[in-house]
Order: sequence, then C-alpha cells, then structure tokens
Amino acid sequence: MSRGRTLHQIAAVATLVAVAALCWVLIALARDGLEHWHWWLLWRYPREIQAGGGVGPEIVNTMTMVSLAEGFSLPLGWCAAVWLSEYVRPSPTVRWLERLFIGLQSIPAIVVGLVAFQVLIGALHWPLSVGTGTVALAILNLPQVVVFSRQAMAGVPQSLREGSLALGATPFQTVWTMVLPASLASLVDQMGLSWARLAGEAALLIFTAGLNVGPHWGWFQPGETLAVHLWSVRTEGLMPDRASLAAETGILLIAMTALAIVAAKLLSNRITRRQRGPGRGRGGDRE
Amino acid sequence: MSTTTKLRLEGVSVWYGAQMALRDISLQVPQGVVLALIGPSGCGKSTLLRVVNRLVERSPGAKVQGRVWLDNEDILRRDMDVAQLRRRVGMIFQRPTPFPFSIFDNVAYGPRLHGVKDPVGLRRVVEDSLKQAALWDEVRGKLRRPASGLSGGQQQRLALARALAVDPEVILLDEPTSALDPGAAARIEELVVKLKGRYTVVIVTHNLQQAARVSDLTGFIQAGALIELGETSLIFTAPRDQRTEAYLTGQLE
Repeated sequence: MSRGRTLHQIAAVATLVAVAALCWVLIALARDGLEHWHWWLLWRYPREIQAGGGVGPEIVNTMTMVSLAEGFSLPLGWCAAVWLSEYVRPSPTVRWLERLFIGLQSIPAIVVGLVAFQVLIGALHWPLSVGTGTVALAILNLPQVVVFSRQAMAGVPQSLREGSLALGATPFQTVWTMVLPASLASLVDQMGLSWARLAGEAALLIFTAGLNVGPHWGWFQPGETLAVHLWSVRTEGLMPDRASLAAETGILLIAMTALAIVAAKLLSNRITRRQRGPGRGRGGDRE
Repeated sequence: MSTTTKLRLEGVSVWYGAQMALRDISLQVPQGVVLALIGPSGCGKSTLLRVVNRLVERSPGAKVQGRVWLDNEDILRRDMDVAQLRRRVGMIFQRPTPFPFSIFDNVAYGPRLHGVKDPVGLRRVVEDSLKQAALWDEVRGKLRRPASGLSGGQQQRLALARALAVDPEVILLDEPTSALDPGAAARIEELVVKLKGRYTVVIVTHNLQQAARVSDLTGFIQAGALIELGETSLIFTAPRDQRTEAYLTGQLE
C-alpha cells in the first residue's frame, strides 16, 4: 500500500520536474527571441557575417522538404503496412519484418544520414541539395510511417472488415473503402506528429542538404532548413546577432511544429466527428 | 414449401487448429425457407454460417472439409470467386456493426462496391432496402446523419437493409437479436418472417421461442454435430432424439 503511494509521489514529482524544465526552456527561448523579434526575419536572406540576416529560404526549405518527404514516405509506408496488416497471414517472417520496422525506427538519424551520404552523394554523385535531403528525410520517416499506419489499422474493429467482406467486397476494396476511412483520423493525427519530427531534424540534413542556401530555390540547390540553420548559427555563426537569431529561429521552428500538430489534430477530430456523429460516447439511444 | 434445394451441405467438418468445431454436417435447405439453428453456446452454429459465406477462412488455423452447394455450385472449391459468393449470401452479425459513415452510405456501400454509380439508381436502392428493413419511416430525411446515432435495434435493421441492398439469395443471421431489447428483437423477427419466400434464410439463435416463431425448419447442433433436423413444429413438439429433448426442456447448458 505505502509502496504504491511512494511510487505515485515519485511519478508526480518527476512529472512536475519535466513540465518545469520544458516551461523553463520555452520561457528562456521566448525571452531571448521575442526581445529582438523582427518580422523581416521571415523573408530576408541569411547573412554570413553581418547582423540583420533572415531565414526566408530556410522556412521555404523546411516546408517543402518536409512536405515532400512526407509525400514520398506516407504512401510507401502505408502500402507496406497494409500488406503486413491486411494481406499476409501472421507468420514468423511477418513478425520478423514487423520487428525490423520497429527496430529501424530507433536507428539514430545521423546514421541514416551517413548511409544516405554514402549512397546518394558518394556513389550516385548527387549534390548536397534540397533533393538529397528530401530523400534522406523520407528514408528516415519510412519505418515510422509503417509502424503508425499499422497501429491505426489495428484500431479498426474486425467487425467492420467482416461487415465489408460479407457484402462481397474484395480484400482490396475492404482496405480502400473501409479500413482507410476508418483509420484516417488516426493517420492524419500521426502525420502531424511525424511532420513536426522531420521539421526538427538536423543531424542527417547537415551532410545531405548542406549548411547554406542557393540564390534561388531548386531541387539541386543547397537546402539548409530551419533546424540546421539554428545549429550552424549557434556553433559556427560569425554574425554579431547570433544569440538572438538562434532564439528567434528556435521560436519559429517551435511555432511551425506546433501549428502542424494542432492542425492535424483538429482535422483528425473533425473526421472522427463526421464519422461518429456528435455526442457519441455518452451512451443511450437517441431517436 | 418449395422443393428446389437452395443450399446443401455434404459432410462438412471444420477445425480450428487441432480443435474440431464441426463434424460431418450434412443438411439441405429448400429455396425460400427459414432454417433455425439452435444449440448450446460454442456448439459450432456460428461456424456453420461462416462456412457458407467462407468468412471462416479468416480465422487463423481454420480448416474446412466437405462440400457446400449453392444452387448446385460447389462454393468451397478453390477457384470460387469468394467476393461474388458473399454478394449472393448476405450476413447479419450478432452485434450491430454500423459502418462509420452516414446512413445512406451504409446502405449504398454494397451497391457501390459492385459498380452502381448513378445517383438516382443508388437512391432508389437505398430507399427500397430501408423500406424492406422497415427502417425507412424512422430515417427518411436523416440519411446524411452518421449511422452510429441510431439505436441498437435500428442499427441491426440498417445492417439488414445493407445486406438486402446487394440483392442476396441467401441471408445468414448470426444471433441477430441477442444484443437487443425485446421490442427491437420482435421487429427483427417480424422482418425475418416477411423475408421468407423471397430469400432463403439461416438464422442462428439462442432463443428457442424465436426459433419456433420464425422458422420452417429447425436444426439442433451439439458439440459440432447436427443431432436432429426437421420441421420446426415437429422438433419442438416431438423431437426424435433424446438429446434434443433434453436441450429443449432445459436439461442442458
């Protein structure tokens, strides 16, 4: 009895410490960043050694590269998950593949970046660019997509699949017209989280997309993102306003990821509401 | 009672792994007749239904032996188009399973699968099916609302409308009223009686009165074996087998 209470107390204290630490980081960042906040940050080009540079191209790069990477990895990972969850019968091979994907999730991003560097830049001679970085991000994201797609599909009751099959649907039709719509809310929610995660990714982009930006946006132009910019400004930046610039970039990055997560959550809730109707969960018949 | 046989099982046995769920079942269901299957829980009644539309194959480790004929077509054969079979053999499950769509889209689901796109035709099918399932008067004008907002009884009639919308020949009902209150159950029973003649119906039920009220034929299954099958009135008044009598008089279970 008292042991349970002690555990509860430890958990409560740990939670408080974690929340306090997070708040402290956010407040410190907001204080440093907002003190010198300049709106021109959003559209100006970065400057190497003078103060007054912006992160316009970095914002564009982050948005396009992350969105394109999601665009590649989502359909691919979803299809792999469909195959594993809906088509093949459970077998040792399937379980092995499943564990492989879960294991791949935890490979450090920098290692994925190293492999992408060796293959794409070393062997295929792609430039350090937007394109290379996007492909590297997509590879990093793929196992994640497989795992969360499988979880979303596991949340679809078997009764819906059987209901669909019993009406003469083929397995493909069942996936497309029943399992996908029924798991869409969860998929959209997870997509927001994974977008945010990729937007904050720096390690593997340093040596696939590079540390600077081209004069014009292009597939083969260097493609520094916000997260990478944040890192390079703070570690090797020469501009006098680097401290506030880094804080401002940090705020911008947090705002973007928060926006992605919240937008996805709202969309996901909306889908659930449309499918289940208002007031579900309170029980009872409503005629 | 018509004499053409709609559905015929010949020596059907089913295993789930090493466990035998049905042993050597042979029976015939004439066209347009309602067959009730009764028996203790876990006796294999539901498995028998799932053999007829081949949903049984979804269970891991399931093995089916024997022959099932639908209109003299062997439906257990390897190259059978299972989707096509399930279109001809509809099924209503024990728990109402409204799809997470609107009422209209629930009923239109089957016809759309089979390529009906024309909105006028689709609307007509939906309306006809809802009328046949005696749900139309309660949902007209609310077809765009989510189906999950309906009551349990309404959801079960919606499931029936959904099955009727693909124009099946055989309808399998797996304890369709066990999750419903008596009023809602009575409405489903009325519908089953109305379906008689147009469709061949196999209904699995725990409710003996229900079997007596709705069916023409009754089969008693125990421990995976078909003990007795005959005209409902005879089974309930003068069962030939002692085990049937024991079950009917409540000495089993």
